Amino acid sequence: MSRWLDIIRLRLRTILHRQRIDDELERELHDHIDRQVEELIARGLSHEEARRETRRMFGGFDAVTESARDARGVSLIDNVSRDLRYTLRGLLHEPMLLLAATISITLGAGGNIAVLSLANELLLTRPDVRRPEELVRMRVSHGSHASYQRWLDLDASGALAGIAGYSIERQLNWVNGDAAIAITPMLVTANFFEVTGVPLAMGRPFSSVEAQAERNPRVAIVSHSFWQRELGADSGVLGRGLILNGEPYTIVGVLPPRLRSIASLALAPSVYVPVNRSILPEMLKSDARVVELVGRLKQGQTLAQGRSQVNAADRRLGRLQGDTVYAGVQDFAPVGAMSGKMMRTVGAFFVLLGLVSLLVLLIACANVAGLLIARSTTRRREIAIRLALGGTRARIVQQFLIEGFWLALLGTTGGVLLSVAFMRLVNGIVLPVPIPFEVHLAPDGTVFAGALGLVLLCMILCSLFPALTATRLVLTPALKREEPQYRTRHVTPRGVLLAGQVTVSTVLLVTAFLFIRNLARAQLTSPGFEVDRALVAEVGFLQGRPADESVRLLEAAAERVRAVPGVASVSYSSAVPLTMHGGSTHGTSARIDNSPGIRHVQFAYSLAGPGYFATLRVRLLQGREFGIADDRGSPNVAVVNEEFVRQYFDGRSPIGSRIQLLSESRPADLTVVGVVANGKHVTLGEEQRAAIYQPLLQNPEGLSLAFVLARTEVEPGALIPPVRKAIGELDRSVAVEVESMRSALAFALLPSRFGAAVLGAMGTLGLVLAMFGLYAIVSYTVSRRVSEIAIRVALGATERGILRLVVRDATVMVGIGLGLGLAIASLATRPFAAFLVAGLSATDPLSFTGTAAAFVLVGALAAWVPARRALRVSPVIAMRLD
Amino acid sequence: MGHLGIPGMRPSDLIQGTLDVLILKSLAAGPRHGWAIAKRIQAISDDVLQIKQGSLYPALHRLEQHGWIRAEWKRSETGRDARFYSLTRAGREQLTDEMSQWERLSTAIGLVLRNA
Repeated sequence: MSRWLDIIRLRLRTILHRQRIDDELERELHDHIDRQVEELIARGLSHEEARRETRRMFGGFDAVTESARDARGVSLIDNVSRDLRYTLRGLLHEPMLLLAATISITLGAGGNIAVLSLANELLLTRPDVRRPEELVRMRVSHGSHASYQRWLDLDASGALAGIAGYSIERQLNWVNGDAAIAITPMLVTANFFEVTGVPLAMGRPFSSVEAQAERNPRVAIVSHSFWQRELGADSGVLGRGLILNGEPYTIVGVLPPRLRSIASLALAPSVYVPVNRSILPEMLKSDARVVELVGRLKQGQTLAQGRSQVNAADRRLGRLQGDTVYAGVQDFAPVGAMSGKMMRTVGAFFVLLGLVSLLVLLIACANVAGLLIARSTTRRREIAIRLALGGTRARIVQQFLIEGFWLALLGTTGGVLLSVAFMRLVNGIVLPVPIPFEVHLAPDGTVFAGALGLVLLCMILCSLFPALTATRLVLTPALKREEPQYRTRHVTPRGVLLAGQVTVSTVLLVTAFLFIRNLARAQLTSPGFEVDRALVAEVGFLQGRPADESVRLLEAAAERVRAVPGVASVSYSSAVPLTMHGGSTHGTSARIDNSPGIRHVQFAYSLAGPGYFATLRVRLLQGREFGIADDRGSPNVAVVNEEFVRQYFDGRSPIGSRIQLLSESRPADLTVVGVVANGKHVTLGEEQRAAIYQPLLQNPEGLSLAFVLARTEVEPGALIPPVRKAIGELDRSVAVEVESMRSALAFALLPSRFGAAVLGAMGTLGLVLAMFGLYAIVSYTVSRRVSEIAIRVALGATERGILRLVVRDATVMVGIGLGLGLAIASLATRPFAAFLVAGLSATDPLSFTGTAAAFVLVGALAAWVPARRALRVSPVIAMRLD
Repeated sequence: MGHLGIPGMRPSDLIQGTLDVLILKSLAAGPRHGWAIAKRIQAISDDVLQIKQGSLYPALHRLEQHGWIRAEWKRSETGRDARFYSLTRAGREQLTDEMSQWERLSTAIGLVLRNA
């Protein structure tokens, strides 16, 4: 044991005190020489003779020092530091190479670091809470949200130290002066701050007693950016009032800046308000899904223990309600970990992004490798001499690696700087969604470690291949500066590199193309209604307003909008497809068409006003749509879509048939009066879903938000102010947001638009890098053949023949790469089908052929240009070249 | 070039690593400096084994790196400061190992040479 400590101490001494050890050795050797001289003198030699004889016996002083150093194992460190200096000098002498390689790696590494820091921020960083390692996110019983009563019971069960709930799905109207603005609050259970320990910059959190929903709490905590942006950073903000949904709240606290909210994914709600009945009138119903749950583990409780405790509690509570099917924990994971369906989807997207950015890096490194190989060909003689003089291959490979290290270090540093600039940009971006996002990107330890990894990766990718090819040369011709240029070698390192680079680039670009096409297609895909020349006005109702009054208000609003010049028709509804409020999905038992059996039906559900389908231009296939007469005084009716007919009526005409929905909370007995064409409801990529529409006039209860829809005769932009005015004059306290249908759909297009933007950028970057590298390598390869071309010309080859030959050779290599790349791409893109709009296959022919065409074109051009140049060189000069 | 010189014999005739054993053995009796080690080996072998200085010092450094010997500066018999080497415990164990190996090997070679 102590021996190993000794050895470590000695090795350290060797590294740290090199100079002293060398000095000591010198003293020791001098001592030895002196003794030798003395001995020889004692044998009778003269002083002079003794010295000469000693020198002869001793050999080189430096050689001894050097081999003593070797024995200590110093030479590796010595060599590395010498190579570091030597290669840097060499690179500085070739600024063009240095610049091209650095830019290449900078672009490649920058993308990787940006993706890494985004993923780090969105997926891996924990929310700002007290002791985040104890906090867990959970799903129980039915799904992501638990009912209010279930939260109350679970918290009281004592399964964990505390369980809190929150919800960010609803919007509130905030009356600010004359205007009413829709804001996204974080609705939290009374004990939220006590359980999570979210810090405050000012004021105090609300206590679980004062915030009890039963007391109808009217306290609020605002986010730092809301306080700065909307409240003028008022230092006396505590105690100030805030009118939310027409009721006064008191601000008791302000959150710290750049707070990572518990909802993660960069979501940053403006206001934290306790759950209460006036915001959530239905909150006490047993099947109302109100809050997502977070809990804090007890001291010393493990994750597994916590899970089983909550599981037991939830099952017990479920049994009490007669619900045994779904009860129990579905999901139980620490906050900040990848959990939940949403996180998994986002995670999958980032994995895809990461792969794409690594591919870009691979292309960048292939470029650098190509450049280094090209250069090493001109350095053949130097390398051959060093090998001939006894330099080992390992030593020369090491030097190449160190050269690669410099390039990787410079490039990655550039990449970090680039991504910091990118982060600045992203931090300032406002996304076109009604939920406030705040992305706080900053390089941290994880990102730094990633960058270090990139340096090593780049180093190996850039220099290993060139090093191995450069040191495998045959000495004699290399020393004579000959190249085996007239031999027909089918597999050359440059050829392999070229084909490999084309392969990687093809995979990357096909993927990128696919996503860009996906976007274009998404904008073309018919959502089932006409998007252009339509306006959407979001009308927030005051909570607690009687249903009749809401309906009267809606009717009046529609009437006023109809009077606006340029408006063709008007209706209203509870949902607008493909927006945040795309309607709800119901699954319930139902009896269809008086059949004896009961079956489970699942359908998208929304409430529509009179003339809804005509206004949105949804095709009516059979029967009629809702009219003003379909109100509470008349029989309950419904319109279904084609898909519903296909699934539940086996294609028979359903007009006049009965649908009995046997749901506990919303039983309904409906008569089908119409069938409309299929459409999309929440995302463009969704599977076709069955849908039921009911007249809004027959079901106005509990409506918190409605939309007035207008079909316009002109471009809708110009009509936004008059429509807003028309509705706003009706009731000052109602938040009205008017926008064109196209901009309302921005949310639906966001994932594919974001994906297409990022992947498009990556793809473009990859394309530019690949073209650059392809061009460099092909043109370099051709320019090495100048003397061959000269001989061919001298022997009578035609210009056409030469060009054909050269272009053919390049095209074959590019073709092999393309073939491989397309094959890999067709496999690799298969898992992405989920992100694509319906009707676009993962092996989209246009994406594939587009990429192929681009490469063949660049390859041919890159061969043609230097070949033309070679043809203009006089054969006499050309044969002497090199 | 080998580590040892024997007049009239090619260096490669001697088995590699022998120098290390010889140095360890010469230190078994007590600490010595480099010159004394070389002289001791030369004297004991009746001047047959002459250690080249160019091999001695790298070998000493190598043994020190292995932790088999340690070195310290001490006043020598001539009044000059010299670097004295001594065996460590690991060095003693190594010496025992190497010696028993050497015995086995030389016995085996002897047997072959006499009887084959």
